[in-house]
Amino acid sequence: MTEPSLNTVPPLPVLRVQQPADIPDRGLKLEADAVVIGSGAGGAVAAYELSRSGAKVIVVEAGPYVKSEQFTERLIESFETMYEEGGNQISKSADLLVLQGACVGGSTVVNAAVCFRAPDKVLESWGENHGLDNLSPEAMTPYFERVEKNLHIHPNGPHEINLNGRLIAEGAKKVGIPSGPVSRNIKHCALTGHCMAGCKTDRKQSMLVTYLPWASELGATILSGTRAESFEVSNGRITQVNAIATDANGTSKPVEVKAGLVIVAAGAVQTPLLFQKNAIGNSSGLIGHHFACHPSTNMIAEHKDDIYWWRGATVTTYAGNIEDPKKGSYLLEAGVPGPMVTTVTSEGGIGREYTDFMQNSKKFLALATLIHDHNVGRVYLEDGRKRIDYDLDDRDFPSLQEAFRASAKICFAAGAERVFLPTTRRTVIESADQIDSVVNSLENGRQRYKLTSFHPQGTMRMGKDPKTSVVGPDGRMHDLDNVYVVDASLFPTTLLVNPQETVYAMASYLSDRMLARG
Amino acid sequence: MFERFAEVYIPTEGTNLKPLSEVPYLDNIDRVLAFFDAPTLDEVHTGLKLFDYGSIIIGLHFARFANLDPEDRLEYIRKWDNGGETQRLIVGLIKKLVALGYWQDVEAARRVGYQGPVSDEAKILSLGNAPMPVAVASASESP
Repeated sequence: MTEPSLNTVPPLPVLRVQQPADIPDRGLKLEADAVVIGSGAGGAVAAYELSRSGAKVIVVEAGPYVKSEQFTERLIESFETMYEEGGNQISKSADLLVLQGACVGGSTVVNAAVCFRAPDKVLESWGENHGLDNLSPEAMTPYFERVEKNLHIHPNGPHEINLNGRLIAEGAKKVGIPSGPVSRNIKHCALTGHCMAGCKTDRKQSMLVTYLPWASELGATILSGTRAESFEVSNGRITQVNAIATDANGTSKPVEVKAGLVIVAAGAVQTPLLFQKNAIGNSSGLIGHHFACHPSTNMIAEHKDDIYWWRGATVTTYAGNIEDPKKGSYLLEAGVPGPMVTTVTSEGGIGREYTDFMQNSKKFLALATLIHDHNVGRVYLEDGRKRIDYDLDDRDFPSLQEAFRASAKICFAAGAERVFLPTTRRTVIESADQIDSVVNSLENGRQRYKLTSFHPQGTMRMGKDPKTSVVGPDGRMHDLDNVYVVDASLFPTTLLVNPQETVYAMASYLSDRMLARG
Repeated sequence: MFERFAEVYIPTEGTNLKPLSEVPYLDNIDRVLAFFDAPTLDEVHTGLKLFDYGSIIIGLHFARFANLDPEDRLEYIRKWDNGGETQRLIVGLIKKLVALGYWQDVEAARRVGYQGPVSDEAKILSLGNAPMPVAVASASESP
């Protein structure tokens, strides 16, 4: 392909969002070639890919449109405005916090910008165990390359890796654990460390500044504050999506969208709930099952020097064997947002122990852990109330222990003087020779660990067999001829790595399948 | 109850931390609770009552938690930390709410070296929206 000459460069794209206040009280009746439910990683990519083929696309997003100039770099305020349930979405047992973005751009607006390709071994296992030979590493590579180019995904440069990240990398090398710089979808990072509160200066290449404005520029209509509620169904096809737009005064306005193609990308919690609520598409009985979430913890270690781990890129370095989950089922990432997150995700004790702990914050090494968990959870409605059932499975507990062991070894090798485990009761490892005895003494159980999920997955399982899956290999639901799912709910197993890049690539791939079908 | 809890959980006197009395942590806790749905909020209130009055039944004290002296309050919190699943859930929630209420205060976080919001002050400019991918620009402008 030849490079375009200067006079072919198009105008900079502008994101035009129709907010509830812009909608008349009588509501809207719209028609399109495709309606996309959700504007996060999957929905935004699908909206753009279809728009550039000339399709008329309408995106309905339940969350508000928050412009980056409104971001305050105060995480608590971002929780309130841009996260599902104000950042308080928890499992039924209250043992797991599930953080998801709920705004135009979805979780891509509030994540830490970490990008990995799905490991080849994981894609191969999907072929072997779920009939998804079409998602082989060879087939997916061009799609990973496409989104990496579009989103400026690249490994952190030396200037983007702070002291915390450098020490973690050195520690990992000393104890023989593979490590490297994390890749991120970011351009000219200003190193403020506020990724999870939203990138105020638009350096993170979230959907808010990339695929959504691109789709908008190509004619897509984007509605914010508009929640899809029900469907009109005829002959195994959804013919109309009924949504409600709610303005700041609480006025509800009906929005009806007739479309030949329905693409659902509301995320691994909301997508299954939408189909359960409407009691369609579920002949397998598996919608909402197979929830998994990469349960994460934050490991804190006290170093003798001042580290100021929160300065710079939010996540800098990774450690762990990410090529093959059979050889290592955890991933460690250097970096955790500031003291507020530390205090609720780690355990410094109470009273003087706690104030001493927090006064030493700047000396901490900080590592996030996540594990390749089994799909044992479920998302469902109970008396109309959203429920997430999830308990850390006994088969996965050794992975959590291994993540703790590896983190502690790395931190001590990096010069830490003590390590604080993310238990609900203060647990401190005072030296490297205590690691095994302390970690081996831990038991699985509720309310024992401070678990957070940033990566819900698996509730609309993709597979070849309609009896054991909800969505087919081409992203189309087995039971609904014109309905595609393009979010992380598709994944038949967890990835072991942060899922956003795989969602982008999958959405690109599945959009091509939709267009090929016509 | 939150006030009595915070006094012993985050005793700022004699430390470099921002004095608890200067942080509007109770208002901040109210703001966090405002995002809970009604059924969850009911469950939270039940849990808080259990904790507050549990000192009489579980702690074998003759007063609510809020009326215990500081040493007894600390001992009571430790008992719940080491208690059963429900006790750990409730005391964990209270600790989380109090910590969120305190540490969301920008000045409190700055006292431990955290910079807090910085882009406006440092005059970091927005890069704006990313240009359309070049290949698409070429295709869309083809005859």
